[in-house]
Amino acid sequence: MRAVVLDGIVLGLAFGLLGVGMTLVYGLGGVINLAYGQIVIAAAIVASLVIERGESQAVAAGVGVLAAVGLSVLLDLTLMRPVYRQHGEERTLLGLLLTLGAAFVIGGLLAWRYPAGALYIFVGGDPISVIGVPMSVGSIWASATALAVAAVLLVFFGATTFGRGVRSVIQDETGARLVGINPSFVRTVIFALSGALAGVVAIAQSMTGPLTVNAGFELTTFALIVTVVGGLGSVAGAFLAGLLLGVVNALSAHYIGQYITTIVLLGAAALTILIRPRGLLGR
Amino acid sequence: MLEVAGLAAGYLGERVIDGIDVEVRTGEAVAVIGSNGAGKTTLLRAIAGLLPRMAGRVVLDGKDLTRSPAHRISRTGIAYVPAERHLFPAMTVKSNLVLGAYPRRADRDTLELVYDLFPRLRERHRQQAGTLSGGEQQMLAVGRALMAKPRLLMLDEPTTGLAPKIAQAAFEALEGLKSGGMTLLIAEQQVPLALSVADRGYVLENGRIRLSGTSEELDRNPEVRRAYLGIA
Amino acid sequence: MSETRKAGGPQQLRRIGWAFLPIVVTAAFLAVLPPVWFGDSPYTTSLAVQALVFASYGVGFNLIFGSTNQLFLCVGALAGVGGYGAGILANESSLPMAAGVVVGTASAAIVGGTLSWIAVRRSLGIIFTGIVTLVFSLGFANLLLGQRDLTGSETGLIVDGVPADLADDSVGGYYLFAGLLVAFLIVFRALQLSHVGWAFRALHDDEVAAELAGVNVSRYRIYAAIVGSAMIGLTGALLAYSAGFISPATYSFDRVDVRVLVMVAFGGLGTLLGPVIGAGVFAVLDEQLSASLELREVLYGVFVITIFLFFRRGVVQAFVSLFDRFVRPGRRTPPNLQSSRE
Repeated sequence: MRAVVLDGIVLGLAFGLLGVGMTLVYGLGGVINLAYGQIVIAAAIVASLVIERGESQAVAAGVGVLAAVGLSVLLDLTLMRPVYRQHGEERTLLGLLLTLGAAFVIGGLLAWRYPAGALYIFVGGDPISVIGVPMSVGSIWASATALAVAAVLLVFFGATTFGRGVRSVIQDETGARLVGINPSFVRTVIFALSGALAGVVAIAQSMTGPLTVNAGFELTTFALIVTVVGGLGSVAGAFLAGLLLGVVNALSAHYIGQYITTIVLLGAAALTILIRPRGLLGR
Repeated sequence: MLEVAGLAAGYLGERVIDGIDVEVRTGEAVAVIGSNGAGKTTLLRAIAGLLPRMAGRVVLDGKDLTRSPAHRISRTGIAYVPAERHLFPAMTVKSNLVLGAYPRRADRDTLELVYDLFPRLRERHRQQAGTLSGGEQQMLAVGRALMAKPRLLMLDEPTTGLAPKIAQAAFEALEGLKSGGMTLLIAEQQVPLALSVADRGYVLENGRIRLSGTSEELDRNPEVRRAYLGIA
Repeated sequence: MSETRKAGGPQQLRRIGWAFLPIVVTAAFLAVLPPVWFGDSPYTTSLAVQALVFASYGVGFNLIFGSTNQLFLCVGALAGVGGYGAGILANESSLPMAAGVVVGTASAAIVGGTLSWIAVRRSLGIIFTGIVTLVFSLGFANLLLGQRDLTGSETGLIVDGVPADLADDSVGGYYLFAGLLVAFLIVFRALQLSHVGWAFRALHDDEVAAELAGVNVSRYRIYAAIVGSAMIGLTGALLAYSAGFISPATYSFDRVDVRVLVMVAFGGLGTLLGPVIGAGVFAVLDEQLSASLELREVLYGVFVITIFLFFRRGVVQAFVSLFDRFVRPGRRTPPNLQSSRE
């Protein structure tokens, strides 16, 4: 049981970061980025290509993250411009549709060029015992990476001026403009940040098992579920929901079955929308 | 300091205000009065950059701000306190004030100045802005604008939703700011209050300037008296 | 609104005649297509049948999303409810095909109606409706995969009791689905012209105004969902019998929903022939790109982006407007042929 829960936490940390990335973009601009999973995959493929060329895994990881950042910024500067010109529900709907299109373009291109593409970062070493449960070194690294990134985010949003500026745009965009903050610039930076998070998730996940080129849609689905359950726009909520759903996923998969597990997670999202639309920590 | 010439602005292609010429000299307090729908808010929002300008010019100390977006106008020294206030509800009073100074770091002295001006804010500095009362929110909105050390402070209907005594206190605070050297542009429906603080005023009607003059002139003007002061 | 004009007998008949003309033309076109184009190729016939199936899905989707703004991302799942409902009934019992079709259609209608009812009760906006229906889609797919015994999971289900001359690569099957599509188009047009269509247009344009005008928005939404879902379910059920073999992939989100969305948007959301034109165009396109599934995916993505950025009212409508502007300046299209979107 402990082993299952720990596995769940490892998965949950990745879920959490994924959710944070997606919820940030929604909180700032009202856009649900359905291409998010594909950005994770893009990072993974780029990293795997770098490894193929003989570079070290660390370098590959860095390049992968940068690729995800670059792709995200490109998306923001092109497709998102017409989206931000709309407001309210129109904006969310258009954003949804355009990012869906982008997901197909990115996913299709990657699958076409690299049909067997996958990233597997091998971290050697004997299993380490955590509270009596032997965990693979890869899992430990994955969790540590995720936790480190989460800590950095905490500091960023809580203590830095820019981080406070981001929160202000989420809470009242007009007020932010009145104090001299450029919401457009902040949105691009946050899109880039969400890309970085996607890259980190790609690296972390690939340390626990191979990440293949067609996992994109599944990742987007998980990110969406976590975001909805945590509360659209709530960073803390997304992280918490990620951890929770990771553990639920692990327990359900272990004790019940794979297909039911997916239904359970989907059901969580549906239930949240129907019973408590603002999610765990949303406003 | 501020020169507005031939300004036109509105929503969805429709011009709500047109041909507006307004001038605010350094150190004076100027009032914009008019009934609901006359265009006072539209005018202030257009100057602040929240609305696109369809015609005309906005110049601050020689710098043409007509094409500038709101966040840049805020950084050049115009601070705008809108009627809806637009505070950050989930942040503390202190955080709201600190953000007012963006992108510069909040100045300790300025913060103290704001707390001296509004002691209630000092009392509630850890409270979330969304939980403050109407009057306190108004104080916070003005305080946040002051944190940027603006050259021109614009206020839109600062007495909205305030009890008469608090509205009076608000204008006394504005009087204090003015004597401290701040330049003010105030849009206000409550004409007597507005004229009590202002040196000059503009009367806006149906999106155009109807009258202008010193506050004494306007106060004595029979049309103004009849329309806005209820005196036959 | 032109629909409220009180016209006399013969004039009204003439207007109705004009309204149904596109359907008659389409029916005629579909009727002569096989001998002219297919030759004897079962392959081409099956492609045509596929296009007809998707066009039928599209009409149902159009009714639900195009007319009443409910983003139902579960077209495939609803078809699957119809298809698997019919298929399982056919295999587990000795009931005839008609019964299976009825059960499948009714089940889909009930599911669709329930989803709409839930969305209405919880005041879900477009986005949340989309997410909830998407969740249903994915959940249903997983349900199919999980219930091995009943559904055969990924390996699929062979449906018993299929009449050979209605197979999906036979001319009989073609005419079955062509007839189905024409029937759906007639229903769609009839609804458009009735007071129901008026209510749909009102609530599509401005919900609040419609409520104030006395339109029970909730009820009409659910009606639209029930009828649209029934259409989709019926098509799915008939497909199960005609194809003789179904699997979760037949009704998956990727295969069905995405395609229906792009295709209907291309042809024009809310228009009568939008789904038909869209289905036709995409059938041809799919054929050209049959070699690479991935490139087809890329093309779909490009289409989605282009359509929703530049051709909100559909590529077809854009051409029609262009045509109108250059060839017949000053002349508007007759009111009763206008799409329900305006």
